[in-house]
Amino acid sequence: MHPFILLALSLPSWQDEQPFLVTGLALGGVYALSGVGMIVLYRTTGVLNLSFGAVGAFGALIAWQLINHSGMNQWLAYLVCVLFAGVLTLAYGAVFGPALAGRDPLVKMTATLGLTLILLGVMDLLWTSSGGASRSINLPTDNHGFMVGQVQVTTTDVIGLAVGVAVTIVTTVFLRYTKLGTAMRAMANDREITATLGVPVRRVEATAWFGCGVLSGVAGILLADLVALDATTLTFLVISSLAAALIARLSSIVVTFVAAIVIGVVDASITPIQSLTNYRDMTPFVLAAAALLVINRHRVISVSRQGI
Amino acid sequence: MAATGVETAETATRPSPSPRGFDARTLVRPAVIAALLLFVLLALPSMLSTYYVDASTQVAIWAIVALGLGLLVGRVGMVSLGQAAVLALGAWVAARLLFATSMPFPVVLLASGLITMVLGTLVGLPALRLSGLYLALITLMLAGAITVVLATTNFPNGGHGFLGYNGSAVHIPAIRRPSIAGTDPAFFRYAVIVAALMFLLALAHVRTRPGRAWAAIRQSESAALAAGINTTLYKLWAFALASFVTGVAGGLLAGSTRYLYSYDFTTQESITLLAVVLMGGIFSLWGAIVAGLLLQLLPQLLNSWGISPDWLTILFGIGVLQVLLTAPAGLVDQVPKDLARLGRLLVGLFRRAVPAGGRAP
Repeated sequence: MHPFILLALSLPSWQDEQPFLVTGLALGGVYALSGVGMIVLYRTTGVLNLSFGAVGAFGALIAWQLINHSGMNQWLAYLVCVLFAGVLTLAYGAVFGPALAGRDPLVKMTATLGLTLILLGVMDLLWTSSGGASRSINLPTDNHGFMVGQVQVTTTDVIGLAVGVAVTIVTTVFLRYTKLGTAMRAMANDREITATLGVPVRRVEATAWFGCGVLSGVAGILLADLVALDATTLTFLVISSLAAALIARLSSIVVTFVAAIVIGVVDASITPIQSLTNYRDMTPFVLAAAALLVINRHRVISVSRQGI
Repeated sequence: MAATGVETAETATRPSPSPRGFDARTLVRPAVIAALLLFVLLALPSMLSTYYVDASTQVAIWAIVALGLGLLVGRVGMVSLGQAAVLALGAWVAARLLFATSMPFPVVLLASGLITMVLGTLVGLPALRLSGLYLALITLMLAGAITVVLATTNFPNGGHGFLGYNGSAVHIPAIRRPSIAGTDPAFFRYAVIVAALMFLLALAHVRTRPGRAWAAIRQSESAALAAGINTTLYKLWAFALASFVTGVAGGLLAGSTRYLYSYDFTTQESITLLAVVLMGGIFSLWGAIVAGLLLQLLPQLLNSWGISPDWLTILFGIGVLQVLLTAPAGLVDQVPKDLARLGRLLVGLFRRAVPAGGRAP
């Protein structure tokens, strides 16, 4: 039989599909949150922060350590994680941001890969993944929830989606109506001219770095709960949100949100389809690659100076 | 970069050689390289334990991979974040051919190189419309997709069908090696010769028309276009060449490890590869060899000293930042310069120490 006919026959019922839809919306929300964080930083400083996932993973592992080995209050530990992620990202931005400010975006992005490698190495040293040590973060909201029809929805799922929506709305409003937001949009256009106009460029950049770091900490905790608390997994999960940001051409926050939700939902809703389930993690890559190629189909040449 | 500076300084002080005449320098360099190659081929395998012969084979293979990426990054200015996936493609094709046919090994290497080249070029064709940052990101995406597919299809292990994977195999046959290179030292020599050929191929490109076109594109794509260079063709050419050598390296990898596993070709591997290529130096072909040593020999050394390889990951991360900030030409350029500086410093100290007593006020 033709494979597509087989595919149609094995399509799951709406009943089976519902729980995966819930997971997809929650994951999509977190992807949106990460994508927005990366885009705001990219527009303000020109840095596409690929260490986003690694910083979040580091924060989540610290929170795990504090909860399970120091007996710290859970919420306090999550706060430490978020603050750590913010401060670490800010520190990187303060040291390497100005040093690389005049370089090509490609160089700036490659530098964040350096930070990613450092963090991956440190995480593997401190929390070795060999030896079958499995860690997990379980938010107390996992146990609360309600039923929609016949589907169990946990409060964590709701938080995932809600945080994504909230960050998207707040960031849009912030960029549109506040002084700092206006300064960030101005810097996205031209850093030098913005500086000439008397905007404290370094301070605005520092805010963007810190904000991006805080969001990576939040995403780290939520993804550790929703997916897995594993350094490598969390570090490279950032590629899914990067895909959403790419579909939005690294500029539109609203498009990022929509793309992230679509990626989360498509990825999750393929899970019950037997013939495709192993390939579901390709979703962000395929969608982003297709979108990039369609968006750029009329471009003939690229005129920016390239290279490292 | 530094070498050309020295050359111009020296040629300025003596009559410049006729364009066709043989300068002593032009002969010394190939002679040194040939001697080095002979030493590596003849003496090295007998001096090393099996453990380090294996490691050296991996150095040769990964030097080819680094060569491909170095050409893209250093010559044309295109960054690929998915070279580990390209290597996996090459290894997959080679393993499939080695199980399915009885073709001689060199033919399989050539075939895996060519098939990887076609696939890489197909990927590159639409990606070339994208400028630097987007090109890097799309290669990251495509590599991610290839990794997901490979995790499901696995590498051929003598099974039937197109994929050639037999999940229930109790006794998994090893991937075939060339008849003349069955043992580990012999395969090491084989890998070094193939690597040398790949470096010659790269040199032939860099020294001639494509190399000049790439240099122009790297400086400014619009200027290159205005100068009448077919930028699309030459960018695609670079993609094809990098994919070809990486595919050949994949074939060698299949023969050297004899068992391939999809979890060896991760996104992290691609990123680490970019890190060591940058650290080794992207403007010199020697940088690729340094990258191969960093990537394959250093972990084995650390392992035998009982140091966790995680320190190496940290070192590579620091290395990337250092290269981007202060030493764009990498270790190949930096180390000789630093040694020369150290030498001058020592000489200076020595000179100052001798007359110090006499000149003291």
